[in-house]
Amino acid sequence: MTETLQSLLGGFGVALEPMNLLWGFVGVTLGTAIGVLPGVGPALTVAMLLPLTVKLEPTGALIMFAGIYYGAMYGGSTTTILLNTPGESASIATALEGNKMAKRGRAGPALATSAIGSFVAGTIAVFLLTMLAPMVVEVALKFGPTEYFALMVFAFVTVAAVLGSSMVRGLSMLFVGLLLGLVGIDDQTGQMRFAFGVPELMDGIDVVVLAVGLFAVGEGLYVATYQSRQAEQLERMSGSLWMSKEDWRRSWPAWLRATAIGFPFGTIPAGGAEIPTFLSYALEKKLSKYPEEFGHGAIEGVAGPEAANNAASAGVLVPLLTLGIPTSATAAILLAAFQNYGIQPGPLLFQSQSALVWGLIASMYIGNVLLLVLNLPLIGLWVKVLMIPRPVLYGGILVFATLGAYSLHQSVVDLVTLYVFGLLGFTMRRRGFPLAPAVIGLILGPLAESQFRRALAISQGDPSVFFTHPISAGLLTLTALLLLIPWLVRVVRE
Amino acid sequence: MTGGRPGARAELMLSLGVLALGAFAAVIAFGLPDAAGYARVGPNFMPKFVAGGLVVCGLWLLAEVFTGGWREAVPENPEERSDHAPYPRAFGWVSAGLFSQMALIHSAGFVLAAGALFACVARGFGSTRPLRDVAGGLFLGLGVFAFFVKFLNVNLPAGWLQPLLGAAGI
Repeated sequence: MTETLQSLLGGFGVALEPMNLLWGFVGVTLGTAIGVLPGVGPALTVAMLLPLTVKLEPTGALIMFAGIYYGAMYGGSTTTILLNTPGESASIATALEGNKMAKRGRAGPALATSAIGSFVAGTIAVFLLTMLAPMVVEVALKFGPTEYFALMVFAFVTVAAVLGSSMVRGLSMLFVGLLLGLVGIDDQTGQMRFAFGVPELMDGIDVVVLAVGLFAVGEGLYVATYQSRQAEQLERMSGSLWMSKEDWRRSWPAWLRATAIGFPFGTIPAGGAEIPTFLSYALEKKLSKYPEEFGHGAIEGVAGPEAANNAASAGVLVPLLTLGIPTSATAAILLAAFQNYGIQPGPLLFQSQSALVWGLIASMYIGNVLLLVLNLPLIGLWVKVLMIPRPVLYGGILVFATLGAYSLHQSVVDLVTLYVFGLLGFTMRRRGFPLAPAVIGLILGPLAESQFRRALAISQGDPSVFFTHPISAGLLTLTALLLLIPWLVRVVRE
Repeated sequence: MTGGRPGARAELMLSLGVLALGAFAAVIAFGLPDAAGYARVGPNFMPKFVAGGLVVCGLWLLAEVFTGGWREAVPENPEERSDHAPYPRAFGWVSAGLFSQMALIHSAGFVLAAGALFACVARGFGSTRPLRDVAGGLFLGLGVFAFFVKFLNVNLPAGWLQPLLGAAGI
């Protein structure tokens, strides 16, 4: 405990260095801006900025990326409340009540409860992260390749098969991601796989090209084809930003309950913030003394989901930092940012890169305060961002997106690959395939393969190790159950 | 059978696509050497596993097509997904923007390619002011170019504007 506090104090020393403070500020500001902009999410933004890792030193860059990640959660609520277009899936629950409040002239309190709620939940969740991470590290230090492999299989299956509407479509995308992860040189034997002699493919497929292709080009094509001729109605910023006593009384229990739901959900591989926001919404609706207001702008329905969203996004960092397991698309791209510096997140990170990891955690306390300032007094500025005409906005998005991919190798091949992934993203969105499993498969697949082969090398090729080590056996059994239960339920019913 | 169900053809094609991707991956995976060593699992194991996974998913999707269609499918009617009717011309404009950038970036340079991309995409999103869009795209491209070359020391192709940009000291 004291050790943790000491490390955290050291972390504040790092995070408060002027340059790191500046990167943190750049990160949360950018994060808010892209959270506000419809059509740009944190996964895409971090992916577009990944090529910058070549130029920046790791601590500053990672502080900035983390700032973008949780800043986007704040900004997203503004768009949702004023425009009723959820910027990201985790904001859908907020849209249910937030936009109704804005329509009734209560945009101010809706924005305030989501910003303050995000701050409260974010700060508590970062504190929980601070306390929990060293404990998980303790356990994870005992993990060998066998346990890691089992953990990755578990993460793959929950992200691909259990979440989302269709198990088979999730798994298809996971396998596509895994296949893309195989392209290039096999690190252990030097064998070239799936490269077809194309030099650009020999280094493997960069996550920037896949993520930008799916999220920017694919999204651009989709919105142009199916949504560009729709009129959008931007609600006016109305009502005082101050919450009345009544608003406070109804908001704070919702914030706390939502934090308690959001954080644990973030830490397990359950796809980040989407599920806890809906759970929080349902819970608030059930507990509210004013259930009749739900559907017409109940403030608890904004306060809860927004807080859950932020708590979950801090929770996602627990498995990412302590185990190196990303459980959402954005986390997978953050993992790629670490890898670009040759740093592998995991229990050893807390020992070998203690200043970096604690600096990063400390920067999130500071970032939450900055975000509260950015999102309350300066809200008017972000509302202006929302007024950027769609044609100009998407023109800009695609210029930056293609720049991110092109600057990797200065190669037109990357632009062609980008368009191919764009077509894939368009089709997947139209047909309801989830995109996150593909990104996670690409990043985590090669790691899982090397753990798998390492485990077998240690056991001299005896595959039974995965079932004789208790932790790995437990995780693999759980994975099998998750895959089989839905099917068994159906068979029993019929 | 699939009947005349809307979307059945797209589902069929995509299911076959996943199956074909799996088959293709399998052909390559089985051509890879074993080189297993101590682990008794070589560089060809994971490719075979992934190929197998894709084939299974392809067959599963195919089975769903022939038993009433994909489960939990996205509605065919755009209104049910809060979309409007497809507007293929917009798709064409965005694609044209990306193609013209691919064609121009090494000859005409980054800035002009960005101008073309921006203008085409804006046109695809319904803009009726091509001059403003070209100007906006060039301006954005120029800003990005200056930032990358000056501050990040990342080279972007100057192309036809080389003399002009050189004279401006960028």
